Amino acid sequence: MSDLTYETLVALLVEKFEVLPELIRPGVTFADLEVDSLFLVELLLVVEREVQAAIPDDAINAQDTLERAVDIVREHVATAGTR
Amino acid sequence: MTAPGSQPEIAVTGIGLVTSAGIGVQASWQGVCAGISTARRDPNLAGLPVDISCTVPGFDPGRHVGRRSSLIHDRFVQLAVTAAREAVADAGLDPHTWDGARVGIVIGCGVGGVATGEAQLRTSLESGPRAVSALLIPMMVPNMVAGHLGIELRATGPNLVTATACASGATAIGTAMQLLGDRSCDVVVAGGSEAAVTPLITTGFAQMGALSTKTDDPAAASRPFDAARDGFVIAEGSGILVLERASDARARRAGIRATIAGFGASADAHHMTTPDPDGKGARQALLTALARAGVAPDEVEHVNAHGTSTPLNDAAEGRMLRAVLGDRAAVTSTKGVVGHALGAAGAIEAAFTALALQTGTIPPTANLEALDPGIDLDVVAKEPRRRPIEVAVSNSFGFGGQNAVLVLTRA
Repeated sequence: MSDLTYETLVALLVEKFEVLPELIRPGVTFADLEVDSLFLVELLLVVEREVQAAIPDDAINAQDTLERAVDIVREHVATAGTR
Repeated sequence: MTAPGSQPEIAVTGIGLVTSAGIGVQASWQGVCAGISTARRDPNLAGLPVDISCTVPGFDPGRHVGRRSSLIHDRFVQLAVTAAREAVADAGLDPHTWDGARVGIVIGCGVGGVATGEAQLRTSLESGPRAVSALLIPMMVPNMVAGHLGIELRATGPNLVTATACASGATAIGTAMQLLGDRSCDVVVAGGSEAAVTPLITTGFAQMGALSTKTDDPAAASRPFDAARDGFVIAEGSGILVLERASDARARRAGIRATIAGFGASADAHHMTTPDPDGKGARQALLTALARAGVAPDEVEHVNAHGTSTPLNDAAEGRMLRAVLGDRAAVTSTKGVVGHALGAAGAIEAAFTALALQTGTIPPTANLEALDPGIDLDVVAKEPRRRPIEVAVSNSFGFGGQNAVLVLTRA
């Protein structure tokens, strides 16, 4: 298992989901980036592989900011690690 | 028996094409008039018994469709979006200003997003169900091509996909004519799209014995009506037409490429895949289309045949055409150049037929060296034939015995 960093999330969004880099800031939401619920499911699949831990499909929604999403993933990784 | 009702004359005001002869109407039409087959060995089919196809050269989803297209669209949707944009621009219409509620979308598709399906099956087998994409279903289902065009073109009128196998594109155009005839719509964006040149689908057609096995000479493999034909070459592509009632098109002074005067549909009710040997179903569809167009059989000057290059189709279609139309019509099969694009074929060929009427040019049938002695027709070979044409027919016949015939006239 490993933590998700903000930089890794940004790289995933740009490389795999074709989000325009100039739109990306920590406080921007997925909805602002036109990452809808179907894309979020895809994103979580990629994030799971990245951090080697299970993240529930509903852990993150389109209204969450990127910053918040990184925290949520870290919480899941930490919980999985103490199990 | 009741005679079929008449249909209002329908104008083709816009055409968009994406074929193995090129992206766009100009490249596709030039390629088909050059009469040289586009079939070649396909690296995606390497190692299979039949490894040749006609695919669209130089198609780049990011450039031709847009950012994220490769994430959300299967290729059959990408090809349709590209062709539809060209068709709507060609018609001089603008989705930002038209009344979208009066615009319908009818697209023929025989197979759908199988490339996505095959890739996700591999993912599922290799990495388990958790790894399967949430976009699998929206990318794969065949109706999504019309759904996406509705979004793309801001068209909120009737929106559907027709599936009559290799007749799907022609069935879509016929269905669009009905939506215009009963005034459900003022504009219908109609056509077909297919991108099913995958290892599994190609193998499936090969196992049926439907494909040419001339894999050592791909460019000679698709040879409609030729004595040495042995099957079709699988192709991908999209043909999209913008259709309006001719009276409306004239009122807005639109450029009219050709008019569609009649449509006939029928079923062989004979066998799952073999055409009726007497061509009864096909004949019924042709006679219905001619009656609706108010055209006598001996007035037909040009036929864009279904002409798949399979021994059975071309023999049965040839006999049927000779029996119904006599020997006056100049027949061609553009599948010699662009192969058989399945559910898109009928729409691509309707577009070629419209262009033949508009330009007075009948493209040649590629690879026609020696006409099958059992086929007594004037099949255009080698060079395009230039002469004014008033009335033309485009035939499409699908597995399942589903037949669709369009009668087009010069505008």
